[in-house]
Amino acid sequence: MTLLHRLASILRWIVHRDDAEQDLHDEVQAFVEMTAADKMRDGASAAEAQRNAVLDLGGVEQTIERVRAGRHGAWLDDVGRDVRYALRTCARNPGFSAVVVITLALGIGANTAIFSLVDTMMLRSLPVRQPEQLVELLFRYPRDPRLNMYPWNHYERFRDQNHVFSDLVAMSARSGRFQVTGPTYGPEVVDGMYVSGNFFEALGLQPAIGRLISPEESQIGSPRATVAVITWSYWQSRFNLDPTVLGKRLVVDNLPITIIGVTRPEFFGLQLGMDPPLWMPLAVEPLLQKPSRLLDGSALVTVVGRLKTGVTREQAAAEMRVLDRQRLADLEARSHDVQWRSVKMEVEPAGAGLSILRDRFASALLLMMAAVGVLMLLACVNVASMLLARSAARRREMAMRVALGAGRLRIIRQVLTESLLLSTLGGGCGVLLAYFCAHALVKIIGSGRSPVGMPQPLQIPVHLDLRVLLFAAGAAVATGVLFGVVPAWHAFVSAPSSSLREIGGAGETRSGRRFAQALVIAQVALSVILLSAAAVFVRHLTAVRTVGLGFQTNSILQVSLDWSRGGYKPAQIGPLSREVLDRLTSIAGVRSATLAGMTPISGAAGSRFISVNGFTENSDDRRRVALNTVAPRYFETLGTPFIAGRDFAPEDEGRARVAIVNAAMARYYFGTNSPLGHQFTIEGQTRPLEIIGVVGDAKYFDLHETPPRTIYMNAFQGSGPWIFVLRTDVPPMSVVPHVRSIVYDTLPNVPIAKITTLVEQVDASILPERLIAMLSGLFGALAAMLVAIGLYGLLAYTVTRRVKEIGLRIAIGATGRDVIGMVLTSALGLVSVGLIIGVPMALWMKGYAVNVLATLAATQVEAPIILPVNLVVPVVIAVIAMVGLALVASYVPARRAMKVDPIAALRTE
Amino acid sequence: MEKLDIPQGTLDLMILTILARETMHGYGISQRLAVLSHDQFHVNPGSLFPSLYRLEQDGKLKAEWRPTENNRRAKYYRLTASGRRQLERHRERWNRVSFAVSSVLEGA
Repeated sequence: MTLLHRLASILRWIVHRDDAEQDLHDEVQAFVEMTAADKMRDGASAAEAQRNAVLDLGGVEQTIERVRAGRHGAWLDDVGRDVRYALRTCARNPGFSAVVVITLALGIGANTAIFSLVDTMMLRSLPVRQPEQLVELLFRYPRDPRLNMYPWNHYERFRDQNHVFSDLVAMSARSGRFQVTGPTYGPEVVDGMYVSGNFFEALGLQPAIGRLISPEESQIGSPRATVAVITWSYWQSRFNLDPTVLGKRLVVDNLPITIIGVTRPEFFGLQLGMDPPLWMPLAVEPLLQKPSRLLDGSALVTVVGRLKTGVTREQAAAEMRVLDRQRLADLEARSHDVQWRSVKMEVEPAGAGLSILRDRFASALLLMMAAVGVLMLLACVNVASMLLARSAARRREMAMRVALGAGRLRIIRQVLTESLLLSTLGGGCGVLLAYFCAHALVKIIGSGRSPVGMPQPLQIPVHLDLRVLLFAAGAAVATGVLFGVVPAWHAFVSAPSSSLREIGGAGETRSGRRFAQALVIAQVALSVILLSAAAVFVRHLTAVRTVGLGFQTNSILQVSLDWSRGGYKPAQIGPLSREVLDRLTSIAGVRSATLAGMTPISGAAGSRFISVNGFTENSDDRRRVALNTVAPRYFETLGTPFIAGRDFAPEDEGRARVAIVNAAMARYYFGTNSPLGHQFTIEGQTRPLEIIGVVGDAKYFDLHETPPRTIYMNAFQGSGPWIFVLRTDVPPMSVVPHVRSIVYDTLPNVPIAKITTLVEQVDASILPERLIAMLSGLFGALAAMLVAIGLYGLLAYTVTRRVKEIGLRIAIGATGRDVIGMVLTSALGLVSVGLIIGVPMALWMKGYAVNVLATLAATQVEAPIILPVNLVVPVVIAVIAMVGLALVASYVPARRAMKVDPIAALRTE
Repeated sequence: MEKLDIPQGTLDLMILTILARETMHGYGISQRLAVLSHDQFHVNPGSLFPSLYRLEQDGKLKAEWRPTENNRRAKYYRLTASGRRQLERHRERWNRVSFAVSSVLEGA
């Protein structure tokens, strides 16, 4: 009760401040009058009585002040006064305040944006019961990313025979989507997910309404399994949150399915990036899919387990590796591929979701987190140096306040209030900035090539949740204190010692100037690190994009058609494609056009074992060979050089099968001999192919791999569909209207499925590298800008403080050049010291950069090419940038120094 | 004889005691305090007000402006139920303290 009273009264005091003050004043005044009245009754004169009454009291104002200070919530008054004062100070220097707030907003915003991604993709736990117990089973076939995909029968074996998991659940996204007709809408195409009957129970999930899929629905192919759970957002968009949705029928690919429940709003499954609205038991798959891929063993399921209490991941891995042997042996026997022997199951934490996206983006995100951390430090130093310069300018004010009786603590609190106010404003703007940046980043990440089995684009639910906002608030307060402490300390030290006598010119303390210089030096050092890092990553990106590609990415347009419509038979696709191809070649601006089964770095791949006549190889050394089918002029169009032999020709159609191989393949099978005229057979086929040409090596699946042994077969000796590939002399997208009209003319019922440039396709595959290069470049530029501001501020301030000295120098004969030289020397001096500190740190970073780039590449392919990282050039670039900046930043102050009028300067005394 | 300073923490108790008998304004309280203490205490009216304000903030007192018998306006304080309870508690504690202190002194 007492506390409530207090709060109410504090609130009253704040809201009805004037009334309360008046009240207090009246009361004390009444007291004085009553005292005086008594004294007059005792015989004192009116004036004497009044005077003594006030003396007895100890002064009217003093008493009022004692009441104010003694009230609960008195500190609030002080804070309020400090804040009002700080606001006034900020408003008086709007330019200064704006620069500080923007600097902080950039620092806090960048940190918050990156952190929100880190939080979403790496830290945030799934909304399930005890997520820390969840693990997923992964394996890695050489050269592939890690996979979590197992045949249904092996999952059943794992589930029934293991002793380490309390539950083992399976889920499977069907490749291809469902056609769904609802009671009042549809048909529409919807993503769906099959889950094992124990899925929801094992994860400890509760429905929003109705019930979730239960082990009752586990019997494969049973009509009882024709049920579905829908997600909250689907319930909202299609049923308007109508609770009578329970029991309603959906027609899913012609099968009636009953809706039994709705998941809670936070549920999205186990895989970040996917949010399928329709969840059905795996047991219903044989009814929906004919023939059933579940029963014929071709369906692959993702397996997630909940560790029994006390079981470690290592123990689980040990047991699961034994159980997995049978699957690996099956695979080896079926594919004659000994590499399966080296595959080992891994048991990885899945409490924050499945690992695919983490594997791909974790190192990039952590690197960016480090970079924004440095940027934040830089922003703090920058703001601290600006505040310091200003606090020096305000020393007379501080001295005045001390002289009038302000305590040191009071002054420190005042200065800290100011910096916290600035950092709070900066933090607020930063959160806004972060909101937009995080969404932009998610969009960019979504534009990348999705990992196998994930939707395109990825659906990443980034929001600024409580944790992110706490992070931003923490960052704001930390920066506020960090950059505020210095000026506060400075005020504390200098205020009493400096006297009101001091005047502009000589008033600056030596230690104060040293400190300001140290801050600029620190800024230079930090930004050299960021700039060098940016240069490393941008150069690396360029190298990844161009080095050893084996084809040219520029000016290539790719067009694929959706042959599932239009009703053509497979045999018609070949001739029709050639007809379209001929017409495409005639477009003005198209230099050449061809067809290809797949284009480089598209994420698609095909590979087979082959046997070459006259070549025997140890079965352990057998490796698959990459395959592609291409039409004549493919190599010319892509810019892959011919080494020997001839290109495919239209006349090959109907004759003996021919193939073109790449140099790696020729070297492996034929050494230095010419492979031309030799024959080989693809496993599972009987008719051999004759090698008619050799071309240069070209990357195939991923930019990080060495080009694999590759065989190109003649498209016109096989069957489509193919992708149309055009090399243009004009910007490739500019011919798109012609392409559309030709396709429409020739094949009015066949829609265009996709049009992209090869550059886009290649870029989509190296998104983490692009993200790093782009962001580190951005952060480097920001850092450079901050240094320029910091340096400019210090120099401008120094020039102002030294006007008298400069005037004196000019008066005794210094030329304009001397004065400019003086300013430039001090600027370059600071930058040099910063470089001397920063450059070794930048060079020292090399190991780290190499490590990150290798990790990035390794998430894509197993034995990546590691491009050499050269730090000398980036560091030189950074150094030149810094010196250039110093010159730019000192231009205005130097000119101002030169223009100092000695007479005016000396007269200010 | 030199006047005594009011022992720490007992001013509230005395204010509450005085107000328990009748509603009174600040000047009245200070007068009554002087009379009841046989003028032994040096009551600085300046320290009376902060105590009154804090007690009011805590809901122990309620104040209202009323005319005095001499037709001035003054702010009268009266005890609330919560203030009465606080008075009981404090008085009991004070009794125990003074009993303990005098026991020690007499026993010595």
